Amino acid sequence: MNTFRILGALAIVVVLGATPATASLTASLTPTSGNPDTPRMGDRISFQTSIRNTGTMPEHGLVAWISLLQTDPGKEQPVDLEDWSAHKAVTAATLEPGQTLQATWPVRLIAAGHYRLVVCLASRETRELVTSPVTTFTVRSKPVVASARVLPVAFGLPLLLGGVLVWRWRLGR
Amino acid sequence: MNSSILIARKEAGTLLRSPRGLAWLVAMAVALSIFCLLLVSDTELSLLDNAQVVYDMAGLITALGALLAVILGVDALAGERDRGSLPPLLLTPVAPESILLGKLGGIVIVWAVMFVFALPYLWAVGSTGQNLMDGVAVLALFGSPVVIGFGCLALGLGARLDSSRSGLLTSLVLLLLAASPLIFGPSLRQTTVGMAFDTINPFAAAINAYDAVIIDSATVLSQWGHALVILVCLALFVLFARNAFQHLLRSGGGL
Amino acid sequence: MLVSVNELHLHRGGTPVLRGVNLALDAGDIYGLLGPNGAGKSTTIAAILGLLRPHSGTVQVLGRSPQTDARTIHRALGVLPERFGFYDWMTAPEYLDLFARLYGRHLASVEIARKLETVGLSPKPRQTIGTFSRGMRQRLALARALLPDPKLLILDEPTNGLDPRGRRELHDLLRALVGQGMGILLCTHLLDDVDRLCGRIGILMEGRTVIEGAVSDLLDNQGSRVRYRIKWSGELPSATMMPQHVSVLARDHGSWLVEIESGVPAADAWREMLFAGWPVAEVMREGGGLESLYLTMTEGRPT
Repeated sequence: MNTFRILGALAIVVVLGATPATASLTASLTPTSGNPDTPRMGDRISFQTSIRNTGTMPEHGLVAWISLLQTDPGKEQPVDLEDWSAHKAVTAATLEPGQTLQATWPVRLIAAGHYRLVVCLASRETRELVTSPVTTFTVRSKPVVASARVLPVAFGLPLLLGGVLVWRWRLGR
Repeated sequence: MNSSILIARKEAGTLLRSPRGLAWLVAMAVALSIFCLLLVSDTELSLLDNAQVVYDMAGLITALGALLAVILGVDALAGERDRGSLPPLLLTPVAPESILLGKLGGIVIVWAVMFVFALPYLWAVGSTGQNLMDGVAVLALFGSPVVIGFGCLALGLGARLDSSRSGLLTSLVLLLLAASPLIFGPSLRQTTVGMAFDTINPFAAAINAYDAVIIDSATVLSQWGHALVILVCLALFVLFARNAFQHLLRSGGGL
Repeated sequence: MLVSVNELHLHRGGTPVLRGVNLALDAGDIYGLLGPNGAGKSTTIAAILGLLRPHSGTVQVLGRSPQTDARTIHRALGVLPERFGFYDWMTAPEYLDLFARLYGRHLASVEIARKLETVGLSPKPRQTIGTFSRGMRQRLALARALLPDPKLLILDEPTNGLDPRGRRELHDLLRALVGQGMGILLCTHLLDDVDRLCGRIGILMEGRTVIEGAVSDLLDNQGSRVRYRIKWSGELPSATMMPQHVSVLARDHGSWLVEIESGVPAADAWREMLFAGWPVAEVMREGGGLESLYLTMTEGRPT
């Protein structure tokens, strides 16, 4: 009987020792409450991320970044974030188990279209990329060059100057 | 009225009151109008594209302003010498420094008028885009010394060379060289020679400042390095114009 | 002495251009500066105006050196260069107003109109200088030269582009100005102008003054007074009826050789003779005079 207890205890120890310590990161991505419902070009919106270490081991060298994808038919492409977002990455040296890291991602809407946004995570311990759920949003276009502004200037100024030219020429004769 | 101001007003009048000068202004307005009209049909510009348009417009205004300043600068001394209207001016009791200051003042007035005429164009293409006011500020602060500098350079070259024609040709070649960054793509500008040239070229300094402020949303103050290049070149061109004018006086003033 | 130039030597681009120019002009004089093209007339004027620095010699204008007191001299100096340009987009009153202000004077529009009238210029209102004829431009240049009420007037080919009436009016104007005490330095190729106007002349040749002084003295000394042969058509009156400035040199059958006093226009002498009853049928010039002097002085001189 004692042998079985000892063997059973040993088995438990072995099983416990054989099971790796779980390292687990999760991220959420939600639009900030102040975002407009139907944003337009030029608007500034933001998204909030909550990064949590749900594992039992600390995560070291944590990096979180956003990726933006345009999904308009025929224009599917990743978007260069240079002018869209100043926040290129959020880092943390260590994220302890159970610790949560909050981050906000401000985004300036440069071009009209349909977009998908996702936050990606990686650390020294993770073997696979961890992503947040994907958020979609649509940016409405805004006419930046309005013919109602351009045409009067483009025709009006040369005509005005031309009129002055003719007037001065006739005045001098 | 101060003699320099009188002469500056006379110089400005050559552009603003003579049919030939007004024709130049009309030509410049037409060039800006064509650029604007090219954009009207394009309704899919992003903010970045629109910023690029404002940047291009600012560069075009600076180039046209410098071209006008070169034409006026050469005419101010060399043209008047060739036409015979310079000696009577030199034979008044006005000090030579005041005459030169008046000539420079004329270029400043003409640029100011052209700048005011250019504002509606900038507003038309950029009012709903980004950084328009910063763009106007950087055009005023950085474009003005570039334009005036080239006017001084042309003034000096016209005084130094034998005829107004050679002065104008030389000035135009130098202006074209300086404005070449507008034409060359980034790859050529990134070569060793391109970068070295960019470092000393006031025109390149101005358009780099426009790029940073209008497209990259940098502050105007952060462009102090470009401002330094522009101001050093302006000082050198003014000195050159002064020395060339003194040389012209020593050789008889065109009499 | 308004202008005094002594042994003026001047180099341009290392080349000697003036090699001894002498000139003396006093108030109330009209001094004619003559010489072929390239003789150094314009260079001499430039030195007098302070635009060129002499290599050696002295130049005094209104008692001052043009090298050190140019601006003071310019206040009392009027210049009409040979080649004159304007700001063609301006009107004549605007142009004169600009230069009046540059001379430190503020002239009312009435005064400007009077200045234009003095030179015989009456453009249409708002007519720009660009539409002026050559003669109008010449008159405007003269009006500009007279703006500072100068004590000294320097004119380079002032009658170029003027019709005979215009030339006559200019001559009358210059005589009137001289009568008010002005001194005039006249640079011209037209010996007729010199003959009518100048009491003193200087002839330059290859940068050097070859002859200089009062016209009458020079003509006397050179034997270059103008001579005329007059043919008669009828009975001659008494010899005492001959005008006093006409000297009879020789009498032939039917014609006389006469000489007219220097400075007296020949036409005036003929008019006087006709009024006195002399039956003049024909007049022929027989050499001598200023032209002869000029040609002699400027012909094949050694350098």
